[in-house]
Amino acid sequence: MVIQILATIFIVLLILPNLYNSYKKNNLTPLGAAIWAVFWLAGLVVIWFPHLMGIIGNALGVERSIDGLVYTSIILLLYLALRQRIRISQIEKEITMLSRKIALKDIEKKKDEK
Amino acid sequence: MSTYIVLPAYNEGKVIKKTIQSIKKEGFNNIIVVDDGCKDNTSKEALSTGVIVVKHPINRGKGAATQTGIDAAKLLNADIIVTMDSDGQHNPKDIKAMIEPIQKKETDVVIGSRFVGESNDIPKSRVLMNKVGNLVTYIFFGAMSSDSQSGFRAYSNKAANSVYSYMDRYEFESEMLGHIKAAKLKVKEVPIKVIYTEHSLNKYKGDTVPAQNFLNGIKMVIRLIEQTLFK
Repeated sequence: MVIQILATIFIVLLILPNLYNSYKKNNLTPLGAAIWAVFWLAGLVVIWFPHLMGIIGNALGVERSIDGLVYTSIILLLYLALRQRIRISQIEKEITMLSRKIALKDIEKKKDEK
Repeated sequence: MSTYIVLPAYNEGKVIKKTIQSIKKEGFNNIIVVDDGCKDNTSKEALSTGVIVVKHPINRGKGAATQTGIDAAKLLNADIIVTMDSDGQHNPKDIKAMIEPIQKKETDVVIGSRFVGESNDIPKSRVLMNKVGNLVTYIFFGAMSSDSQSGFRAYSNKAANSVYSYMDRYEFESEMLGHIKAAKLKVKEVPIKVIYTEHSLNKYKGDTVPAQNFLNGIKMVIRLIEQTLFK
C-alpha cells in the first residue's frame, strides 16, 4: 500500500504537473503532452490494480516480479531521456533566436533611426 | 513592388559573388545574404558586391538562416521575398516567373519545382530524397508538393507575416509548407531549372554541417517525428 501511495504522489504531484508545465511553456505539443499523460495515467491504473499487470504480464510472458522492476527502470530512464530532449530542444530554439536577434540588430537599429 | 532575394549561405566564399552577380544581372538588386556562421570569406565577398549581409554568430543551419533572411526582408518592408540557394544551383532567370503570380495577386506563395514542366537532370539520390521528403511532408504536415524540399520559393508580404518556422535545418522547407497550409495561403508551383555543380553536390563533405544526402534525409525524418512531440 505504501509503495502505491508513494508512486501516486510521484506521478500526480511531480510528473503530471511537469508535463503540464512543459506543455504550457510550448516545449511539448498537445499531441506529445497527451501521449505522455495517457502513459503515466495508465501507469497509475496499473499501480492500483496490479492484477491488470498480471493479466498483461501473462499475455506478454513476464513471470517474475524482478522483470517488472527492470521494465519500470527502463521506463524511468526513458522519462529522464525525454526530459533531457525537451531541455535540449528548448536550448536549441533559444540559441537560434539569440543568433537571429544578433544578426538583425543593425537592420532594426537603422529602422528605428528612420 | 519591392522584391528582396534572400540567400542563406554557409562557407560559400568561392561562389557567392558569382551567384549575387547573376541575380543582379536579372535586375534584382535588393539581396540579403545570411552568413550562417561561415568560417570562410563569404561575408567579405558578399559585402564587396554591395548587398546586405546579416550574420549569425554561430552556425544554426539552412532553415534558421532562411528564416533570419525572411525576417530581415520584412524589416526592410519587402513586398515579395524570394529565397534561393547561395551555391548557384538555382537559376536567377526563373525569379521573374516565380514572382509574377504574386505580383498579379494570383497567389501568396510560389514554390519553384524541379519536378514540373521540363525535366531536369537531377541526381538519383536527390530524386529519392525528394520523394521521401514529399511523403514525410504529407504525413506530418498534410501538405502536398511536387518539390517539398525546394528552397527556391517566393512569399508575398502577407505570407511572410503569416508563417514562421523554428526548424533549423533542412526540415524547414517541409514545416513551412505545413504552416502555409494551416494559414490557408494560396500556393502555386512554377517550374525551375537547377544546375548541379561539383561544388553544390560535394560542398559539405568532411564538414561538421549536415549535407543534403540520403542519410541526412533519414535524420531529417527523425527530427520531424521529434518535432511532432516537442516544439
